[in-house]
Amino acid sequence: MSEVPQSETPLLRMRGITKRFPGVVALQGVSLSLKAGEVLALMGENGAGKSTLMKILGGVQPPDEGEIEIDGKAVAFDGVKDSKGNGIALIHQELMLAPNLDITSNIFLGNEGVKGGLLGPLNRPKMNARATELIARVGLRLPVTIPVSRLTAGQMQMVEIAKALLTKARIIIMDEPTSSLAGAESEQLFKIIRQLKADGIGIVYISHRMQEVMDLADRITILRDGRYVGDLNRADATHDKVVAMMVGRELSNQYFPEKRERTSTEPMLEVKDLIVPGAPDRASFTARKGEILGFAGLIGAGRTELMEAIFGVTPALAGSMKLDGRDYMPHEPRQAIDAGVYLAPEDRKRHGLVLPMSVAQNTSLPNVGSYAAFGWLDRKTEQEVAENGVKRLRTKTPSIKQAVVNLSGGNQQKVVLAKWLAMAPKVLILDEPTRGIDVGAKAEIYRHMADLADQGITILMVSSDMEETIGMSDRVVVMHERRLKGVLERHELSQVAIADLMTGNPEARGSLAPKAAGESNVAAS
Amino acid sequence: MLIALVLMCLALWTSNSDFLGASNVVNTTRQVSMLGIFAIGIAFVIITGGIDLSIGSVVGLTGVIIARVSSTQTGGLGYPLWIGVTVALAAAVVVGVLQGLLITRLKLQPFIVTLGGMLLLRGVSQTIVDGGVISMGDSSLLNLASGGLLHIGRDPLIGWPLVIFGIVAALGAYVLHYTVLGRYIYAIGGNRDAARYSGINVDRVELLTYVISAGTAGIAGICYAAYIGQMSQQVGVAYELYAIAAAVLGGCSLRGGEGTIFGILIGASIMRVIDNGINMFQVQYTDPEGIRKIWRLNPNWNWIIVGAVILVAVILDQVVHMVQAARRLKEAGQPKPVAGPPSGAPPEGAKSPV
Repeated sequence: MSEVPQSETPLLRMRGITKRFPGVVALQGVSLSLKAGEVLALMGENGAGKSTLMKILGGVQPPDEGEIEIDGKAVAFDGVKDSKGNGIALIHQELMLAPNLDITSNIFLGNEGVKGGLLGPLNRPKMNARATELIARVGLRLPVTIPVSRLTAGQMQMVEIAKALLTKARIIIMDEPTSSLAGAESEQLFKIIRQLKADGIGIVYISHRMQEVMDLADRITILRDGRYVGDLNRADATHDKVVAMMVGRELSNQYFPEKRERTSTEPMLEVKDLIVPGAPDRASFTARKGEILGFAGLIGAGRTELMEAIFGVTPALAGSMKLDGRDYMPHEPRQAIDAGVYLAPEDRKRHGLVLPMSVAQNTSLPNVGSYAAFGWLDRKTEQEVAENGVKRLRTKTPSIKQAVVNLSGGNQQKVVLAKWLAMAPKVLILDEPTRGIDVGAKAEIYRHMADLADQGITILMVSSDMEETIGMSDRVVVMHERRLKGVLERHELSQVAIADLMTGNPEARGSLAPKAAGESNVAAS
Repeated sequence: MLIALVLMCLALWTSNSDFLGASNVVNTTRQVSMLGIFAIGIAFVIITGGIDLSIGSVVGLTGVIIARVSSTQTGGLGYPLWIGVTVALAAAVVVGVLQGLLITRLKLQPFIVTLGGMLLLRGVSQTIVDGGVISMGDSSLLNLASGGLLHIGRDPLIGWPLVIFGIVAALGAYVLHYTVLGRYIYAIGGNRDAARYSGINVDRVELLTYVISAGTAGIAGICYAAYIGQMSQQVGVAYELYAIAAAVLGGCSLRGGEGTIFGILIGASIMRVIDNGINMFQVQYTDPEGIRKIWRLNPNWNWIIVGAVILVAVILDQVVHMVQAARRLKEAGQPKPVAGPPSGAPPEGAKSPV
């Protein structure tokens, strides 16, 4: 083995990595290699399998198939500790620091290097000195005894890196490190990355931000739908080329219902200058009667937050909305529901369903009070409504008494839909309506969506699935970093047009002037 | 649990036939009834996923208030009994409202709020009786504990506490299992967020559960006042723990979303039968010298046995849950891939085209 010159053996090589989850193949034979002192950008759409691949590398999950080699030697990780022992450090998108502990404690957490097990004495002065050294290496000049909760997001990121340096990590994985950083902090991070690179550390850099990737990466590996698409060297990479590789599949039309001409221009929901908590700008758009209005954007683009404001979960701070011509400003979901605005949330299991309860009980939940007399539950009506829902949506369940926890994802989603369809929706907000649902069930849900729109119901569909966005939407609103970036009319819809807007390309087609974001939306076309 | 209860009763009865004797049955059902009344109340809170530690103190407080307001003895104000009872119940409801408001409006943790309530109300009781005892004398209230329907000799077959318990249980079962409110309570315990996203006014429902909990504790407090007759700050100490244990034994999960009134009934019975059984259980044997002796449980073991029964019950419950969950996972997941990754490092020099 030692005849092979060191420089040509990749520091890390992953080959044929396959990972299956119940009902989904998350990764299918993916390969990746990383040299010492190299920055490898890993790119792909939401759900392309980047995070799963990195979790496998970080020892969080074992692969079902495939090999991992470090310095040409095959390794298998039995847990995170094993991966760390092999010099791999994974920095999660949501930082994994204990905010109540100080910098030193966080850097050494789980790695105290103390003899005597859990009762071994901590050598605070020595640890503080070492921590000070480490954070200096990442450009932080702070007392190491202050709690992490008092640091900025950027400083926390540096602490994470310092933590990786403590364990002498040779491979550092960064998952969207700049997603929560301000501009100057990102610059600082890039400086550190270049320095780490010079020290011979290999870095896997996951990001959706094209500009960063172009600046930093030596090479780009692109994944799509859990498969390896290809590598691009920095010299060959262009914005367009990368986007094309990320989204490049042929649109398979087979399971989208044919788009009918929906001509109504009557507004159903008019949103004007809405200030959503946490958003930098006011948001304005109009959804027409009986249209499917898509909302595209990357994860964290603020789409869910906007929908939650419209549904009254986290009320908007200012602005106005009109529903069917009437003023509408919900402060609680109850008010939205009474007005006819319903939300099928992104996280079905957390927000949409009471899992231990039955299909019938979940279906009736928002409306059970209205068919009860003197508070007495009308089980008969409840069962009829549930039976109707099951029949209408063809939900596969042994009975309406079945607990929804036992249903598949697609059927759970149908229960969520049934619960709203049992009432009289004007606006139906569907946040990631087909996430985690298999292809057959998807097609059915698409058909129902089209039917509902034909009945004059307005659907706001948040989707991170490009195919779905284009296949289903009459128009698409694109968001980027919590701002409305543009509205694409039906004839303008294309993967490239959407991807351009959602990665923040300022020259993208359909983009709104940054300041006048309120005005142009309705009229655009 | 029902089976466990029946077995326990059978074992006790065979070991000591007095277990089913009239006076022991009357006494035990009275104890079960009084515990059951507020165990049902706390079940409402527990099913939403909350907790109420203050109910033992509420039991004490209501009793003390009745004694203070209505007793004709030293320390009592001598007002009519109905005034004392009304004031006491009102106080219990107010306690529930206040704690509920703190929990739902200020988003404080139920544990802390009701822990504070528990200590504070205990102090209030102590202040009201001025650290001493107020006797109810021969107040007609005492009939509430000793009287009842269908007398057999001196003892009523169905004591008033049992009647009250029956009413509370029936109302509780109606509300929890047949009304919209009950449905909301389970939904909140099952998934608070989904309940809110379904338009349920979670805060209002939760507030109500704390009022119900304190209110039933108030009702139980009246029964205890009648039963004990001598009110001091000690009445009701640690009762909340008995009620929680009864609820958990009866199938409530402290995570919320689970439990039935019937279960609580069984749970409360088990708690009290254990208590009673520790006194009643005996084994007759003949020692080597041929002298007949009776072996009894050491009364010092009381808490050990109570604690052990609770632990065994929840352990069994959890094991059943884990087995079920594992089975579900197996059914949901597809068959595991046959060729897993090599668990160790493959032999050196395996095909590696470098």
